[in-house]
Amino acid sequence: MAVKIFIATDRLDSVLEKLSTKIDLWIPALLKDDKSGPTGFVPYEPGKAVAFDRQTTMSLKKVLLPQVETLLRFEYRKEPEGAINSTLAVEDRREARPTLVFGARPCDVRALTTLDRVFSNGPYVDPYYTERRKNTLFATLVCRQTDAKCFCSSVGGGPADMEGSHLRIVRTDDGYIVEALTKEAQSLLDNLGDAPDASREKQAAEIVEEVSRRRVGDLDTEGSAEAFRKRFEQTDYWVQMVSQCLSCGVCTYVCPTCYCFSITDEAENLKGERLRSWDSCMFYHYTLEASGHNPRPTKLERYRNRVGHKFSYIPERYEGLLGCCGCGRCIRSCPVSIDIRQVVGHLKENTNE
Amino acid sequence: MLETDRIQLHKLVEEALPELDMMIGWTESCDPLQTTPVFIRDAKLISKLTLGPFCSQNLAGYLVKPPALESVPKDAKPIGICVKGCDSRSLVALIQEKFISRDRVRIFGIPCRGTIDWRKVAQRVGLSDVKSATVEDDFLVIDASGTTHRIGLEDVLARKCLGCRYPNPIIQDVLVGQVATPRSSSLETTYRDVDALDNKPIEERLAFWQSELDRCIRCYACRNACPLCVCQDKCIAETREPRWLTQRVGLPEKFLFHFIHAMHLAGRCTGCGECERVCPMDIPVTLIKEKLNKIMEEMLGYSAGLDPDGVPPLLTFNPGETEI
Repeated sequence: MAVKIFIATDRLDSVLEKLSTKIDLWIPALLKDDKSGPTGFVPYEPGKAVAFDRQTTMSLKKVLLPQVETLLRFEYRKEPEGAINSTLAVEDRREARPTLVFGARPCDVRALTTLDRVFSNGPYVDPYYTERRKNTLFATLVCRQTDAKCFCSSVGGGPADMEGSHLRIVRTDDGYIVEALTKEAQSLLDNLGDAPDASREKQAAEIVEEVSRRRVGDLDTEGSAEAFRKRFEQTDYWVQMVSQCLSCGVCTYVCPTCYCFSITDEAENLKGERLRSWDSCMFYHYTLEASGHNPRPTKLERYRNRVGHKFSYIPERYEGLLGCCGCGRCIRSCPVSIDIRQVVGHLKENTNE
Repeated sequence: MLETDRIQLHKLVEEALPELDMMIGWTESCDPLQTTPVFIRDAKLISKLTLGPFCSQNLAGYLVKPPALESVPKDAKPIGICVKGCDSRSLVALIQEKFISRDRVRIFGIPCRGTIDWRKVAQRVGLSDVKSATVEDDFLVIDASGTTHRIGLEDVLARKCLGCRYPNPIIQDVLVGQVATPRSSSLETTYRDVDALDNKPIEERLAFWQSELDRCIRCYACRNACPLCVCQDKCIAETREPRWLTQRVGLPEKFLFHFIHAMHLAGRCTGCGECERVCPMDIPVTLIKEKLNKIMEEMLGYSAGLDPDGVPPLLTFNPGETEI
């Protein structure tokens, strides 16, 4: 079994093609014919332009938690005699196939620890997520493209953090060194390439060592959970911090740790599907109650909830785990340049004001 | 020149603030290429106000989508707001439709020489770390990843700016800076992107919109950034009672949503381009509205947001109409 292989840059596509015969393969790719345009994870197709040069616009969460998925199909069947009587047929077949995400980033993989706590680690186990999670492997890039909006080291991660990854990818001058980190990942590398020579191996080791030393971001989250509670009712603070918010769903949809969903029955006549789709706490309808009352009527309460959920409720419920992986996507994609680091960073300042 | 304008703006706001409920303007953000809207009640913050080509956001929408639900007392002081040419047209449209009354706003008009599209900057300098960005004459000077780039401003302006006919505010109480020269004076220039697409065979156009709209993630940033999308929390894209759209993310849902958005703006869209600017997936959604704007101009001779006393054509009825 191969433990470590070298893939020359120009051979990447042919290696991915071979890999895609062994396992369902997802790669980060351009979503538009523009080198600096939006990117996201897509199922591999030969010749598809891989976007390894930067973090993707959309995170990889949709591999495990699709934006929309059918939970079950239903059909009311009328009895031939007596049209009043009908039986309900329900089908909830699901299938999780062995999958590899090639070219994940450490922040995205770390984000799954939050999703795991919610969907897999009880008390309620979500079979849809959990089965996909068990069947999915991650080949993660040692990240050398951090920018001013990244802050993974501030929230427990790091640009070379391989926790939760099955393979490590190091980009060298002329290609990639892919190393299996777990036993189950080794067979994937069989017949894909030769072991790297000594000089490339040395270069890769130096890169890993150098990137491991990097500290990305300087947000201090210590004490944020308590500070948030003190701030909760200080409307002035939220007015000052997030008046510019448009209450759109960009931050939550690009976020790798936001997992809130909605369930709707989409039926035509007697047949239909129960769908689970991404929801966003930035939306008015998210907390709209059947009575018509809405406990979060304005964007201030809604944004406050987003900050509270990530930096106070989740840490309190899950032994200090943060609901943020520091990928910086919400900052990068916000139409009005809201910086969550500022909102969280200021929580602790003069809380008694 | 920008610095002079900034100082003038600060001075004008300082004088006006005691008579204002608050001042809405732009300030620097963590991204050197983009500002962030700021709401000022405290005179100490006035010095943070900025203007110039990074001030891309249209602030008019905040007048109808306020930060917090509060009932406005009858004797409330006016709200001060900075508007570029295109933003002022949104303001006019909102006044026409009686969402705001003219005397509730104190308008600080900013003649605009075009706003910068960060995506076009990224195409030139890569998505590397932009440390600083300044404007020197007709150039954008960027310090990114240790390299200094000097880019012609014209090359990185937003698409809507290239065909702009109204860089100067349509209405204002005070003007900040020198009057700007329009980039376009003809329908041909303003609607050249629409024409370019219209000249393609219908199959190609369909394929274009299918591939563009397929990227939509239904985040509704385009809708929420639109100053004229005033249904807000009652938008039919999301209501379940009645249910018009499913929660699916297939092309039919995306098409339907974007065309509902566009149709609801027919004769109302002022072409500020916010919907396109805010799209995280870089979909040219303003183009759909531009097509409708062009039809409005050609058929009815109407261009939205130019006359506070005018009536948008779809909000009225003319029994003797000959054009449609």
